[in-house]
Amino acid sequence: MNVYTPILVLGILAFGFAVFSIVIASFTGPKRYNRAKYAAYECGIEPTPQPMGGGRFPVKFYLTAMMFIIFDIELVFLYPWAVSADALGAFGLIAIFLFLINLCLPYAFEWRRGGLEWD
Amino acid sequence: MNTFTAPEIDYVAIAPILIVAIAALLSVLTETFLPRSVRRPVQMILTLISLIGALIVLVINRDIRTITGGGAVAIDGPALVLMGTILILALLSAFLVAERSLDSLGDSFAPSAAALPGSVDEREFSARGYFQTEIWTLFLFAVLGMLAFVVANDLLFMFVALEVMSLPLYLMVGMARRRRLLSQEAALKYFVLGAFSSAFFIFGAGLVYGFAGSISLPEINDALASTAGETLLIVIGMAMLLVGLLFKVGAVPFHQWTPDVYQGAPTPITAFMGATVKVAAFGAMMRLLYVAFSGIQWDWEIILWAVSILSMIIGSLIALTQSDVKRMLAYSAIAQSGFILVGVVAASPSGISAVMFYLIAYGLVTVGTLAVISMVRDSTGEATHLSKWAGLGKKSPVLGAVMAVFMLSLAGIPLTSGFVIKFSVFAAGIAEGDTWLVIAAVVASIIAAFFYVRVIVVMFFSAPNENTASVAVPSIFTTITVAATVTATLVLGIIPQPMIDLLTNAGIFIR
Amino acid sequence: MDPIYYIYLATLLFSIGAIGVLVRRNAIIVFMSVELMLNAANLVFVAFARMNGNLDGQTVAFFVMVVAAAEVVVGLAIIVQVFRTRASASIDEPNLLKY
Repeated sequence: MNVYTPILVLGILAFGFAVFSIVIASFTGPKRYNRAKYAAYECGIEPTPQPMGGGRFPVKFYLTAMMFIIFDIELVFLYPWAVSADALGAFGLIAIFLFLINLCLPYAFEWRRGGLEWD
Repeated sequence: MNTFTAPEIDYVAIAPILIVAIAALLSVLTETFLPRSVRRPVQMILTLISLIGALIVLVINRDIRTITGGGAVAIDGPALVLMGTILILALLSAFLVAERSLDSLGDSFAPSAAALPGSVDEREFSARGYFQTEIWTLFLFAVLGMLAFVVANDLLFMFVALEVMSLPLYLMVGMARRRRLLSQEAALKYFVLGAFSSAFFIFGAGLVYGFAGSISLPEINDALASTAGETLLIVIGMAMLLVGLLFKVGAVPFHQWTPDVYQGAPTPITAFMGATVKVAAFGAMMRLLYVAFSGIQWDWEIILWAVSILSMIIGSLIALTQSDVKRMLAYSAIAQSGFILVGVVAASPSGISAVMFYLIAYGLVTVGTLAVISMVRDSTGEATHLSKWAGLGKKSPVLGAVMAVFMLSLAGIPLTSGFVIKFSVFAAGIAEGDTWLVIAAVVASIIAAFFYVRVIVVMFFSAPNENTASVAVPSIFTTITVAATVTATLVLGIIPQPMIDLLTNAGIFIR
Repeated sequence: MDPIYYIYLATLLFSIGAIGVLVRRNAIIVFMSVELMLNAANLVFVAFARMNGNLDGQTVAFFVMVVAAAEVVVGLAIIVQVFRTRASASIDEPNLLKY
């Protein structure tokens, strides 16, 4: 059972942090309400009322979705490395760093080209 | 837990691939951090240095025969030859990509592929004199994929290489500066059908893995040798792998994308993909069939027989009816795939060297022909309709003569490389007893000769009229490509022996 | 449970995807069908990895996922561009290229 103790501790810590954040935010956060604050989503499109035929999504959503998909799924390679990081040793560490550097290059490209800006 | 031993990687043996990979990453950095004004020269120099550097390393490495990277990479004679071919053809196509004096607007690529055709943005980009430089990054990644494709010794690496090769090509096809709707349409069709075929490839790989319990090509061969049962699984798997590869070479019945993509793509990209993708895909196909599936040769032979005959006959017959030069070349490419398959079916050392010779000579002619096509222009850009070529040979004798050499070579007339390659492929076929296949190939090449010769007839034996296109004056880039390809075509046709010796010495695919 | 049923399921999914590519007309749905085919291949690899008792198949599944994601991005870029130009995502409408 010892193995699961860290997970339990982590769970308690996470729960405690969540409660702490919510409580502390209600004391310290500024309270300026406006129409946007009351909307269901602070960003993105209005879910209701839907126009006829479902309406159209701005193309920007596709761009964001595409970037999310590519950078999100590339990280899947970290999982097999992470579970056997000890066994893989220095070779695995170097390999995964090279991989992450490769991943940073297109991210930098995206950022410099304004792919991360909404307007 | 098992102890982990890191795979042995022979960095010297794979140095040519690493050079192109590093250049491709540097090219991303160039796009990211350098100001727009210096990107183009930096990208060009980077491409040039990396391709030439890889070629030099390849020549130094010429005696290396090894399997490395945990069995995923096989560097053998054919792999070295095919890598060299890809690098040379890529270099010659890179000159065409760099060309910008043919068109009054600049190079062949849309200044911003994301701007809508005919929009204010697009006009503004053109007016500011912006140029597309991301094409170089995509170009390098495509070359990287091709190099990896011909050395891939397991199905996973082969699949990843296939995608690294294909994805940049889908994008590059859609980047033409003029006739952008056509270009985008070609990209869409190429992408949808390409993704469809690579799904077949990976599903077939799954079935083969299920049979053999391994994705490594030599181990699949061992599994085939040791088991007798369950052959349906492996035959279906092998056939689906072949679907993916035959799609890439544009063989009937997987050819529908070829005409549209050849016509819609920017001409330098048509030259690049038309020449190099065939080399890469046929290289991978031969390795797959000879290394992994030599145990069920009878099964794939019969498939390739049918595909070969269909490609030759259908490609040649439809090419006869074409009135657009680029489209005609696409159907010619389909027919030529059929001719190359005759050598693949032969499955002998002489067959391997004949196929490699075919790929080299055909690739050079393809790049050369499309370089010539990119020079023939009227007010709307390239004039690819055959009626606009009437009397072009009289108007511009040099261009006419060069085009005539390429057409004669594609038709397989003696004293050009086309004759030697057709002869060696057919000889390899006869030697392995595929007599009927070779007879069909000879008939098809007679049909094919008609439409190649028709281009020459139109150029030289009809009078120039007001519709005849003019010939743009190329810069040094296109001139180099045309001069190199036409020289190579003639030299390989007149003294083919040194090349034949080189390819015979390259030997066979190692296990 | 016999892993062979996963192979039957994967074959079925692959066929549904292949038919989807051939008969559907909306580029996005054609595209989803291709993804279905790739995921069917993934299922084959994982099921056979179990049956063969080695991990090669699971490794392949990771790579296929990533390649599929890369394909999505390239494909959506092309489809969105065609869509913006023509205000339609039908793959029958682009028909300028024929002889």
